[in-house]
Amino acid sequence: MRLVIMGFGIGLTLGAYFLAKSLYMKYRHPLLNVVLLGATLVAAALLLLKIPYQAYVPARSLMMSLLGPATVGLAVPLYRNRDLLSRHAPAILAGVGLGTLTSVVSVAWLAAFVALPREVVLSLLPKSVTIPFALEVVRLHGGSQALASAFVVATGTLGSVFGGALLTRVGVQDPIARGLAMGTGSHGQGTAMAFLEGPQQGTMAGLAMTLSGITTTLLAPLLIRLLLKA
Amino acid sequence: MHRVLKVIAQIGLLSLFVWLGGRFASLTRLPLPGNVVGLIFLYLALRSGLVKLELIQEGADFLLRHLVFFFIPAAVDLMNWGGVFYQYGFRLALAIAGSTLLTFVVSGHVGQWLRRRNQPCAS
Repeated sequence: MRLVIMGFGIGLTLGAYFLAKSLYMKYRHPLLNVVLLGATLVAAALLLLKIPYQAYVPARSLMMSLLGPATVGLAVPLYRNRDLLSRHAPAILAGVGLGTLTSVVSVAWLAAFVALPREVVLSLLPKSVTIPFALEVVRLHGGSQALASAFVVATGTLGSVFGGALLTRVGVQDPIARGLAMGTGSHGQGTAMAFLEGPQQGTMAGLAMTLSGITTTLLAPLLIRLLLKA
Repeated sequence: MHRVLKVIAQIGLLSLFVWLGGRFASLTRLPLPGNVVGLIFLYLALRSGLVKLELIQEGADFLLRHLVFFFIPAAVDLMNWGGVFYQYGFRLALAIAGSTLLTFVVSGHVGQWLRRRNQPCAS
């Protein structure tokens, strides 16, 4: 029985993923987010069939156990673009480093300013990095994985809708710098938009996405201690 | 069939790096996730020639092509968190939008400034 429920949960998620993905491929609109759409479809099916969330948890754990090897796999695009990385090393390191620092510090300050509860603030800190890194930050330092993924998707959507226009407005024309900002500020969703601008922007955004994820997990323990005194 | 087995074996090898990363983090008591340490290890292994790209690239490309799939199960839990958005929606939007704007401006300008300084005539 357990195996049946687990298989059902996995099948349901796969179905939701392929449906959401085909809708995105058809319309390519940044508001059609595969993560949120897919998760909404799964949640709706669970509610309609009166299956409690707890019954979905084993399937969830099994699927998410592949997130570890997938994250490690991000070393492959990094390695393939190693020449690009070393050619623009100063711009990449400073842009990603300072961008990441800005993201975490400013969201912590803004969240404190509007008096959000601690668990929500902790889930907000990794909002600019791609989900596998955000989930680990939350798992190690507190917060909710679901909230963190929602905030990550919100940030990605915002950045992919307005990011390009914002960069033009503030005078960032250099394609490498634009890609850097999109990957650092809006992870995978920003990277998808950067690829629509051009391959140079897209590749750079992909590298910035991985590097800002690593930087955020490295900086998180220190920043949380400094910014959010318990 | 051969390709499927190859992808599975390569995912197994990537998982070995996750495990190594986790062991390293717990032995050194560093507050770092195993997958991030594993990612750094794999990059170093590729750079030093210890691991050849052919040994892992099909497994990695497969997982990365469907990376978004693995995010869906984490977000399903949102069905239990509806109240937070109802209660704090506006404040959350303010914090996220403000911080995202700053992040774009800072990383874009820092990147552009250093690019112009280091290679004034390159494209």
